Amino acid sequence: MTAVSVEPAGLTVDQRAALSPRRVLGDIALIAGRNLRKVQRSPGLIVFSTIQPLMQLVLFVFIFGAIANIGTGTSYKDFVVPAVLVQSLAFAAMGSGVGIAYDLQSGMVDRFRSLPIARSAFLVGRTVSDSLRLGLQSLLLVAAALLIGFHFHAGLLGALGMIVVVVLFGIALTTFSAFVGLAVKDPETVQPAVFIPVLPLVFTSSAFAPVSRLPGWMQPLAKVNPITYAIDTARGLALGSNTLYKVSHIHLATAAEYFALSWVLIVGIFTALAVHRYRVG
Amino acid sequence: MQESGVVVEGLVKRFGSFVALDGVTFVVPEGTVVGLLGPNGAGKTTVIRILATLLRSDGGRASVAGYDVVTHPQQVRAAIGLTGQFAAVDEDLTGRENLVLVGRLGRLTRKVASDRAAELLDSFELTDAADRVVRGYSGGMRRRLDLGASLIASPSVLFLDEPTTGLDPRSRLRLWEVIGRLRDDGKTIVLTTQYMEEADQLAEQISVIDCGQIIAEGTADQLKTKVGGDVLDLRLSERSQASDAAALLAHTFGIPKSELTIDDELGIVLIPVQAGASALIDAVRALDGAGVAVADLGLRRPSLDDVFLSLTGHLAEEPRPDAPEPLQRRGRPRI
Repeated sequence: MTAVSVEPAGLTVDQRAALSPRRVLGDIALIAGRNLRKVQRSPGLIVFSTIQPLMQLVLFVFIFGAIANIGTGTSYKDFVVPAVLVQSLAFAAMGSGVGIAYDLQSGMVDRFRSLPIARSAFLVGRTVSDSLRLGLQSLLLVAAALLIGFHFHAGLLGALGMIVVVVLFGIALTTFSAFVGLAVKDPETVQPAVFIPVLPLVFTSSAFAPVSRLPGWMQPLAKVNPITYAIDTARGLALGSNTLYKVSHIHLATAAEYFALSWVLIVGIFTALAVHRYRVG
Repeated sequence: MQESGVVVEGLVKRFGSFVALDGVTFVVPEGTVVGLLGPNGAGKTTVIRILATLLRSDGGRASVAGYDVVTHPQQVRAAIGLTGQFAAVDEDLTGRENLVLVGRLGRLTRKVASDRAAELLDSFELTDAADRVVRGYSGGMRRRLDLGASLIASPSVLFLDEPTTGLDPRSRLRLWEVIGRLRDDGKTIVLTTQYMEEADQLAEQISVIDCGQIIAEGTADQLKTKVGGDVLDLRLSERSQASDAAALLAHTFGIPKSELTIDDELGIVLIPVQAGASALIDAVRALDGAGVAVADLGLRRPSLDDVFLSLTGHLAEEPRPDAPEPLQRRGRPRI
């Protein structure tokens, strides 16, 4: 055993306490890198969190696709795939809150809060790593959808646009999930606490049927549901603006505007709430 | 006024109507180890959390390494290392990755962080496990790694919040050795503990905390002197006989019963005595004559347990009845 050296790290306290933009970015990168390494070390988590949406994809495409008919010459398969992607990423966003709750429970959050790092680094780092995780998952799902016969009808740009919208929506839900994780603090409870409000929102949206074909009482709910606009925007980008209008009687531009508005509201509100929770500890 | 070390003045903290800290004051001069000794719920962890900028106090002030914890929290964080009751290490990372991560967030360069990590792993006998994920570490290994993480950026002040709670005796001894070396190296350390023995072993100065207040201060010897003389430690087979046995012995030694410490629930009676050996014989005769069943009877120098008992009227390991439940699981307290 050698003695532990006690000489300071070469910087004064004030130098170590200072926060330059470069340091803030570095802190975010370190924490995001740490989160990604944790994902990489849990292969079971990756496998199962991909298999579950794959099964949903197969269920909706082959079983509902066999009985459902939305008319207008668009196959139910092409109609439902963008919705299954949005839904899958919405549920994948749960992982954010679960991860944060684990960090709270294990004392890692206290560790980070006692270090001279940017206060924002923990939450922003989490968002960065979750975005990459969601991006990867969306690519896997798109590949699977193409394999079982899904077609993009609006070219490569539309396809890329759809993936971006789907991932952006997932990111919006990570802010909600992060807030729940910080508020609930218990990893086991975070899962249902995120799942329970999101699931009915998915079903009362344009996900599985055009809004006009939903039961009458559900239609007003669907029209104020942010998931409707995320899905309509993704659908319009994947199938083309004209097809979207024929099926759902909404212009892509209108859907995109509502999507942008709801995205800003969700991200703004839940980021503010999460940051407040994180600060008060 | 620029003080180094740690200065705590009249710290107050309330959680709703529960007063966790009720004017705590103590000083840790630079380069010394101060032990904050008290039972569960006494307020030890609350003090540490305020000093480590994790919690805001409701009154009083505190400074660490010359920086006020409220007005200069970022400087405080740059000057401290914190090891909590529950090793805050990432289970999915290796020991080395944990240290490097905390080192780099503590503003070490990649190279220095990696060198320091290797040095600490070696010093804490973790080199063999360095590249394994922490999930497979034992409790003692986790605590040592956690301590390594709080040391990697060479802090000038170190907070150790119940560093050995829940460890087996062997791991505890090992950790004591490590902390002892840090003390010998001249680190400023605030150590909280509910173990008398631990405070006695590691701390130069001890502040006894109970119900959110410092109730005594001094070196271990000074605190022991407060109790004075020897102590007859009587443990009864029938706990309910404690009061009767105490009355009998008070009569035997001709001292008022109020000078004895009586614990009805545990069946323990502590009697301060002057003439040790003959007192022991007198006590045996008296108890035997009265037919009191004795589980154990011994004569000893007062321990810090006696000090605590005589200061507070209860044993250190008993939690306050009105304290909120601890948030997380804890190791079983040891008597």
